[in-house]
Amino acid sequence: MDTSTALYLTMLIPTVAMAGNMVFADRENLRDGITFLCAVLTFAYVLVILCNVGNGTTAELRLFEVVSGLSIAFHVEPLGLMFALIGSGLWIITHIYGVGYMRGNNEQHHARFFACFSIAIAAVMGIAFASNMFTLFVFYEILTLSTYPLVAHKGTPEAVKGARTYLGILIGTSIALLLTGVIWTFTIAGTLDFTKGGILEGKITPTLLPVLLGLYAFGIGKAALMPFHRWLPAAMVAPTPVSALLHAVAVVKAGVFTMLKVGIYIFGIDFLASTGASEWLMWLAAYSIIAASVVAMTKDNLKARLAYSTVSQLSYITLGMALATSMGALGGGMHIAMHAMGKITLFMCAGSIYVAYHKTEISQMQGLGRIMPITFGAFLIGALSIIGLPPLGGSWPKFLLMLGAADAGHLIIIGVLMVSSLLNIAYLLPVVGRGFFRPATDSKLPKTFAEAPLLVWLPPAITAVGCIVLFFYAGSIQNFLLPIVSN
Amino acid sequence: MFDVIPTAFIFFVAAAILLTLPKGNLRGLLLLIIPIIAAMQVWNAGFGSFAQIGFFGFELELMRIDGLSRIFTLVFCLAAFLGNLYAWHVRDTVQQIAALLYAGSAIGATLSGDMITLFFYWEGTAIASVFLIWARGTEGAYHTGMRYLIMQVASGVILIAGVALFYRETGTIAFDRMTLGSPGTWLIFIAFGIKCAFPLLHNWLQDSYPAATVTGTVILSAFTTKLAVYALARGFAGTEILIYIGTVMTLFPIFFAEIENDLRRVLAYSLNNQLGFMVVGIGVGTELALNGTASHAFAHILYKALLFMSVGAVLYRTGTSKASELGGLYRTMPKTAIFCLVGAASISAFPLFSGFVTKSLTLTAVAEEHRTIIWLCLVFASAGVLSHSGIKIPFFAFFAHDSGLRPKEAPTHMLWAMGITAFLCIAIGVYPAPLYAILPYELHDAHPYTMGHVVGQLQLLLFALLAFAFLYRKGIHPPEIRAVNIDTDWTYRKAGPAVIYWLSWVISSIYNWIVGLLVNTTSRTIKRLYNSHGPEGRMARNWPTGAMVLAIAVLLGATLLVNFLV
Amino acid sequence: MAQKPKDDPATYPALGRMLTWVDKKGSDKKIVWALGIACVIVFLLDFTYDKYGHFQVEYVRGFYAFYGFVMFTGLILVAKALRFFIKRPEDYYGDKAIDTEEYPKDQLDIRGNTDV
Repeated sequence: MDTSTALYLTMLIPTVAMAGNMVFADRENLRDGITFLCAVLTFAYVLVILCNVGNGTTAELRLFEVVSGLSIAFHVEPLGLMFALIGSGLWIITHIYGVGYMRGNNEQHHARFFACFSIAIAAVMGIAFASNMFTLFVFYEILTLSTYPLVAHKGTPEAVKGARTYLGILIGTSIALLLTGVIWTFTIAGTLDFTKGGILEGKITPTLLPVLLGLYAFGIGKAALMPFHRWLPAAMVAPTPVSALLHAVAVVKAGVFTMLKVGIYIFGIDFLASTGASEWLMWLAAYSIIAASVVAMTKDNLKARLAYSTVSQLSYITLGMALATSMGALGGGMHIAMHAMGKITLFMCAGSIYVAYHKTEISQMQGLGRIMPITFGAFLIGALSIIGLPPLGGSWPKFLLMLGAADAGHLIIIGVLMVSSLLNIAYLLPVVGRGFFRPATDSKLPKTFAEAPLLVWLPPAITAVGCIVLFFYAGSIQNFLLPIVSN
Repeated sequence: MFDVIPTAFIFFVAAAILLTLPKGNLRGLLLLIIPIIAAMQVWNAGFGSFAQIGFFGFELELMRIDGLSRIFTLVFCLAAFLGNLYAWHVRDTVQQIAALLYAGSAIGATLSGDMITLFFYWEGTAIASVFLIWARGTEGAYHTGMRYLIMQVASGVILIAGVALFYRETGTIAFDRMTLGSPGTWLIFIAFGIKCAFPLLHNWLQDSYPAATVTGTVILSAFTTKLAVYALARGFAGTEILIYIGTVMTLFPIFFAEIENDLRRVLAYSLNNQLGFMVVGIGVGTELALNGTASHAFAHILYKALLFMSVGAVLYRTGTSKASELGGLYRTMPKTAIFCLVGAASISAFPLFSGFVTKSLTLTAVAEEHRTIIWLCLVFASAGVLSHSGIKIPFFAFFAHDSGLRPKEAPTHMLWAMGITAFLCIAIGVYPAPLYAILPYELHDAHPYTMGHVVGQLQLLLFALLAFAFLYRKGIHPPEIRAVNIDTDWTYRKAGPAVIYWLSWVISSIYNWIVGLLVNTTSRTIKRLYNSHGPEGRMARNWPTGAMVLAIAVLLGATLLVNFLV
Repeated sequence: MAQKPKDDPATYPALGRMLTWVDKKGSDKKIVWALGIACVIVFLLDFTYDKYGHFQVEYVRGFYAFYGFVMFTGLILVAKALRFFIKRPEDYYGDKAIDTEEYPKDQLDIRGNTDV
């Protein structure tokens, strides 16, 4: 199959899944089956695109032109392809998990939930394959809007308030800042196409460059760069599958993915390096890494802690771009994959604990490890990957970022990365340490092995294994991503 | 690729197999057989590099066997065997797996020929070993484990940062002798230094080892620090500064050990002091000195394990390892008492015991360099070893005043573990030739049993004993009392948290004040602007149509933002 | 120390019974005397052979004896003084340390008479 058809299908199939959910709203097995099938198919077509790489088929899809020079168009490049692979691959797992979670937890409105979920995936595919900033922006907004009902899903005042913050910050930043930046870019460069080496060199005075970068960096609210991070903890009122796939993988990664695209294809790494325009962003990202970790330590609610951990980890990717070295960009790109796998594991474990025993606070989880060893074992592996310890995927991007920082001559950034690892230990491993090695405080808990339902504990176990597998395939990922930085 | 299976993998595979076995003796047997298989593999392989693999653009060497790595690997296997024998009664899967992964990681690190592989295993030892502390299951052990883990992983991340810088400086990741100077090498040096418990970086050792389980401490005592000694010997042999660091290391712990109440912590201080001798040897860096370090590490792992085993047996039978609560146990635990005495004699370097034939190499190497002060310090430290490990441990646990405790003798498997270790301590002391034969460098005319050596050492030890007898009978010797002593850990257990607490209070107050101010001002400004410039304001007539769209977007966005920030 | 009624030396292992010699009245004096004699012997031995060493002090007869005695005494005194500065109550670190905790009994096998 040629790539352009496959591109088309990767966005169409999730939309079909949405339609299926709405049509068969009352027949839950059929509905969930259709979605599962669509998830597998979407992943399959992304794989088709992967297989087509390098065999000469057209890797472009131009839908229509809005005004001269602005079109909805898609293309295939390594970073986007990797993002699409992660998004669609983890969708399958999250869907299984979501079915188990929603049923096991007696949540309402399954059809609406899975419909919005599917459309969000379609938007992610659009973002991943967008070939210009305009297309990306459109799908970026679709993603925001489609996930809003998911955040507000429970319908409680708390959920509505969280969703309001969510929508407010994401729409607000994207319109006030990102759109401004995009219009500005279009005005001076005359194009918004993602081009290797950037489109801005020689078209903007270097003094204004940091300002434009700032419009992007803060405008891409999904990257959760401080101080525009509040939406992410607020979004934790959503059911856990949403937090797992969207707020650890799809939505936040769409943010940092956009950040990397902008850095690499709009500004150009070399241009950023030669002008030093991104240096302030690097320091802000470094601050964000440390500060969010410190905040995470103060949270007793597991999902809130994980959310702040995500804020911190996302800034790794922003940092990788802002370092303006090829190793930094590579490290940032790879971190998208590694963090996705690790963090989705952690979120699914948090959900598993919630489904099984309705515990949300870490202090209540003491002693649960002996009862749910698979969930807590998976959590341990995910946590170690986030910390960046071997033999888990998370160790490689940190090493690359360190190399990038060494290339850029910023030894303090290396120090930040080191401190961050230690902070990660301090806020992630207490869950495991207390879970396994301290007796349960709640006398109502069972005394022996009693895991969450199969569909709930199996997916995190799979992604935990994924963290280990990624460690050994990091070299392939690096080679795959290499074209984005090599000339 | 692989000519042989890397030795570390044997341990990892065994850990997987262990999970499938039923709890009981079969697991115990596996835990005993694996170190033997590993040792035989390394012994039979000969010298060379047997497992290279391209990975992530690096050429990794997983199996580099030469004189230095072989002796450390062999003694690690031996320690794993003895530790597992001692832990025969343990039915806790977590501890068994941790012991295997820990030993495997330590051996893997020792055999790694490049620093990326070293880093992997380096962190492996950190993660695996913390479970031996957490397995105790108490609140205190949990906190201690966290502190320990953060320290150990800190060493690892400093190492990888150092490797990254070193790679950029030199273009190589080979793990060979380095020259201290560049930022990269300094970071690597500090990483090794943390695990080696350099002065001021040492306190994780005394903090954590007493908190581990009875058997966990025995296993912990063998690997981490000696791995660091190996790494220093490999990377920084002949680095002058190590001589001074090592000397300080031999000295300061002996004072702390003297007044420490928990006997397992006394041993941890003693361990630190012993590491000092090895570090000095590395600093001197001559072939004789490195032989001294390697042989000392070999003998040290055995007698230190023996001492931890004997105190562990006491803890196992009485529930305490505090000197103030113990005494007079020789009546009902005579075998343990005698094994403890053998360990004490070995660490104190009495002639005919292992410490004597190994420590003399280091001392001779220092003397050959004519470093008078260092040499005098080391001789003093030798007398200091006698004070805490030679006298304090056996005397206050098994003799001294009768505590009234009449515990049963240690279980048979513990006695076997102690017996074999004690036998090895004496065997090495009596007949050191086999140990000398596996040292990294050929040893020319080593004769520890000269008249001068023997008489000198006996004088030192016997007169120190005499001093002890005198001080003890006069009541000058400090009594054993229930108390803790602060050390450098005070900075991060007391001072640090207090400072952070205070700082965070100040920062959050300021932050809240600023945010409040900002939000109020902006929302007021926007309201005013909206009233005048908004769609219904009187200024709306002046808008140029082109800029209007943009302005609306900005204004709407800003309003939304403020709306949600408030 | 006074023996409790139920403490019967006959229940000790044979090796333990033999070792009780060290607690017999007068044994401690004998041990110290033996140590003293051993010290004298090794001191005198120093005069029987040709000394060899890298440092001048090594040629001084009885150097090690003197150094061992003095430095050991100094060590004990300094350590005792150090206690004045660094000693803290056992619960100084609260529940974040193992110092005041009981070792979990289920991991031990406490046997024999352990009533104090």
